[in-house]
Amino acid sequence: MTVKNNVAPRWKRGASPSPLIPYIVAGDPDLATTATYLDMAAKKGIFAVELGIPFSDPTADGPVIQAASQRALRHETSLESILGWLSGIPRNKLPDLYLMTYFNLFHHMGVERFCREAQRSGRIAGVVIPDLSYEDGALYRPVFRRYGINVVGFVSPTTPPERARRIVRDSRGFVYYVGLMGTTGSALTLSDETRQVVSTLRQWTRKPVCVGFGISSGEMAEEILEFADGVIVGSRLVLDERDPDRWRKTFEEFLNAAGKGRK
Amino acid sequence: MMEEGAKTLSKKKGSPVLPDMRGYFGEFGGRFVSETLMSALIELENSFRKAWRDATFRKEFRETLAEYSGRPTPLYFAESLTRKTGGAEIWLKREDLNHTGAHKITNAVGQALLARRMGKGRLIAETGAGQHGVATATVAARLGFESRIYMGSEDVRRQSLNVFRMKLLGSEVCPVDLGGKTLKDAISEALRDWSRTVRNTHYLLGTAFGPHPFPLIVRSFQSVIGQEVRRQILSAKGKLPDALVACVGGGSNAIGLFHPFLGEDSVRMFGVEAGGRAIAPGEHAARFAGGSVGVLQGTRTYVLQNPDGQIENTHSVSAGLDYSAVGPELAYYRDSGRIIFDWIGDTDALDAFQELSRQEGIIPALESSHAIAYGIRLARSMSRDQTVVINLSGRGDKDVMEVSRILSMKEVDKI
Repeated sequence: MTVKNNVAPRWKRGASPSPLIPYIVAGDPDLATTATYLDMAAKKGIFAVELGIPFSDPTADGPVIQAASQRALRHETSLESILGWLSGIPRNKLPDLYLMTYFNLFHHMGVERFCREAQRSGRIAGVVIPDLSYEDGALYRPVFRRYGINVVGFVSPTTPPERARRIVRDSRGFVYYVGLMGTTGSALTLSDETRQVVSTLRQWTRKPVCVGFGISSGEMAEEILEFADGVIVGSRLVLDERDPDRWRKTFEEFLNAAGKGRK
Repeated sequence: MMEEGAKTLSKKKGSPVLPDMRGYFGEFGGRFVSETLMSALIELENSFRKAWRDATFRKEFRETLAEYSGRPTPLYFAESLTRKTGGAEIWLKREDLNHTGAHKITNAVGQALLARRMGKGRLIAETGAGQHGVATATVAARLGFESRIYMGSEDVRRQSLNVFRMKLLGSEVCPVDLGGKTLKDAISEALRDWSRTVRNTHYLLGTAFGPHPFPLIVRSFQSVIGQEVRRQILSAKGKLPDALVACVGGGSNAIGLFHPFLGEDSVRMFGVEAGGRAIAPGEHAARFAGGSVGVLQGTRTYVLQNPDGQIENTHSVSAGLDYSAVGPELAYYRDSGRIIFDWIGDTDALDAFQELSRQEGIIPALESSHAIAYGIRLARSMSRDQTVVINLSGRGDKDVMEVSRILSMKEVDKI
């Protein structure tokens, strides 16, 4: 039986006040600061936040997020304690949340148990798991789905079209287009290829297609939003995470750019 | 949920049909990597399966091993050690006599030939003890690849001789200053490099680990070890061995020795992990003794992890065994009971290192010393008409400085 999640994505494609998806590492520098960032994001009506749960061996992440994860691991940032912590934050101080981390943390907690507790918390819209491949995910997606937890699918520049079509079909919440080949935080140079692939993906689906990896400036975010539904900003924001004033400033820069970029 | 895979085991004696099409050995294995790497892994699998069916490729592989690496390596009766031990006959598979001094060259040759067929121009690799790094640098030099080797900075320190060898061979060595600064961190960094460069680069993974098809590829190349042992022992003794012993880091020398014997019920198999200083978090690398099932670096297998699912750092006197996870195929045969696993601590490994040097005039790698220590203990519990084959996976030249340092510290402790 399908359990309805009370945190279905709030925003339909193109309907959120802002198409920005900031990535925030939970517990960097501490959970109280993370809470203020989430509150700020909620107030601005952004599409969603990717909340990173630190993992000891983040193979898809570059140096900035690796370092932030190491700092955050010093606090109570296990998957389970984060769920508990989020339950204690009023719903109106939270944007739509996608938990982003590596599969071992879900596997270790037990996927079913995670889903049950995430659903009970009423705070989790979905999960973004970079190392859960489409094929291995076939075993686990039905479990997430049963609890109404969206599992976001990744498409990369190396994904052949027929494979991309299946990934898009089974993706929930939004589709994550990896803008560059490499780890998070590398420098993205926008190519016509990116524009073309994203346009094709958008023709296949009504789900929002968002671009992430390597978005280092407001101008770039603005340019991406000419053809994508959302833009995910990771390393550039994580870089300022330890300093709330700088984070706020960078966040607002991206927010403004995102506002301009939207068609 | 995953019993299907198990049913495909061993329809034909001696040749289990594993991994299955999804890259699973029962419930272990898989392909837990980012989407960016998926196409490369699928391309690699297709290229490998095609090459492996191609007689020309197999011939090239065989001939390169014979002419360049000196295969077959001898199977040597350790008479003096056997006499001193008192028990089963101890035979050593002399993988240490390979070119570059370990079994690692066999896999490096195979994958480099494959990468050339695939039109890749660049090789990257991880290394722990440095043996796989040296093997990769060697084949890169011979076949004209650009190459870069990732190595934890702690391993760079304790295996400085191998670092110099890699540089001499023309490879770039990148120290990795993350996590425990050992093999696990080197693999993560190699995966990151690969996701940037996947279109022209082959990741020459050194052990039977990581995402499918690596466990399959590495096992296929390394199985030449067990195939040779089978021929050699039949010719020398007229019967199969009673027991096989190999050390287990990721597990390539072990699965290479064991695989051709899996269907032979009379042959017992023992995998030896690194017990380090003690079976306590951060003090050892005995995944089957202190670990649980998890997902790390592309595969579902036994992993050392804390109660939150964070990966634990490891310790072993031998850099090649100093790793938080183990190859998925070995995990499968451990759970099925076909292969027995145990561990040997630093101290016993160091004793075996010296014992083999004195008894047989062979200085073993510290990794292999774990297998020697266990093999001696096992032989002692068996009868004289039985035989034990121990895989002497590498030679100890790379370790003499580190052992000398440790032993002199012990002398100081005694005073």
